[in-house]
Amino acid sequence: MKLKISILFALGAAVLLAHHGTGVSYDASKAYSVKATVTEFRYANPHPQIFFDVKDDKGNVVHWSGEIAPNPAQLVQIGWGRKRSEAALTPGTEVTLTIAPSFAGTPVGLIQKIVNAAGEVVLGAVALPGPAPAPEKKE
Amino acid sequence: MRNRFAIFTGTALLFSSLALAQGGRGGILAANPANANKPYDKHDLSGIWTRNGTPAGYGGGGTCRDCGDRGYSNDVPPMTPLGQKMFDANKPSYGRNLGSPDANAHPEEHIGRRRAVPPANGTDPYQYCNPEGVTRALIYPDPLEMNVLPDKIMQQFEWTYVLRTIWTDGRKLPEDADQLRWWGYSTGHWDGDTFVVDSNGFDERTWIDHFGYPHSTDMKLQERYKRTAYDVMELSMTVTDPKIYTRPWISQTKKFRKLDTKDGIKTADGWGGLMEDLCAPADEVEQFNKRVRDPAGGVIH
Repeated sequence: MKLKISILFALGAAVLLAHHGTGVSYDASKAYSVKATVTEFRYANPHPQIFFDVKDDKGNVVHWSGEIAPNPAQLVQIGWGRKRSEAALTPGTEVTLTIAPSFAGTPVGLIQKIVNAAGEVVLGAVALPGPAPAPEKKE
Repeated sequence: MRNRFAIFTGTALLFSSLALAQGGRGGILAANPANANKPYDKHDLSGIWTRNGTPAGYGGGGTCRDCGDRGYSNDVPPMTPLGQKMFDANKPSYGRNLGSPDANAHPEEHIGRRRAVPPANGTDPYQYCNPEGVTRALIYPDPLEMNVLPDKIMQQFEWTYVLRTIWTDGRKLPEDADQLRWWGYSTGHWDGDTFVVDSNGFDERTWIDHFGYPHSTDMKLQERYKRTAYDVMELSMTVTDPKIYTRPWISQTKKFRKLDTKDGIKTADGWGGLMEDLCAPADEVEQFNKRVRDPAGGVIH
């Protein structure tokens, strides 16, 4: 099991840039963890999405949207097929999310990690927006 | 099996940290030392090939350590006035963020690699799931399969699960194709140990790479493939498009790693072969754009 989690983490972390180029929208330097309640999960292309509620400092509920960088074709290779993923993230599920928020300041983020109430990592450590490609060497 | 997983995990972890540090130039090497003495046919390009830096070609991110980066080339020829106009109109979402300290810290990179904007504010054709086009698809790190038939080679790309045909039956390219194609018209032949592909007739709405370099309908593309080891294939491309670039533009040499056709890529329940990695269906993509992509860029519907 530990091995499997390691693989999930490794693969998740390897996803530097989403297919859709959305990594540029999120500020990884301001990533933080927060408790949330899942309201909807969509295992879909081009990227799975998670919608969730978070209580702010004053106890108000804020509705958030989250992007998960690995897409279904990638998740299914590491053991997170549709059935298992949807079962793990049914509406009402309490989770702790690590979120890289949008630069725009909207309640949208790139989800870097999902941990359930039992402390298990769901979908692996799912994404980190990477830096731009380094310059090429002259050939 | 346990050893395989352990090697896989360690390599992938190593790749992760390297890739983060090097922006997609980390990970494993194209050639697996275990295959160093394996015989191979230099004229056999069949099989699944990937530029990705993880053992199973898991994608979306960086290339392997010596496979080249995700751009066509940083050595960009001077553009014509039309080329510059088209370049300026393209707003990519890859590279360093436009105007960021990170972008300003790398003047050695062509501006095309330092002008990324959120997709909500961009013009990348594949934000709408339009075809990537040949050069961009070949540069993408996810695997492609070369299916060699008697009269053609079919390239199938995992990302978008699309097929491209390279005819090897001796036909000539159309001189003035009436119907331009997203994937152009392509013919291939062997020149010694190099498989040479010439193409024309391209729809100009594709980009050369994800940094938004343009081309016109007059673009002529030559690809030169060479198998240099049992598990390594090299590719060099030349874009000739005098409407856009003042001289032919030669790509950085890209390397591909060979994956086992049946076991190189597998779902967790054991189905081997290319994944079906699609930008579809359209309504789900639109929903993603409206509910996540656009708000992330400050655009609220």
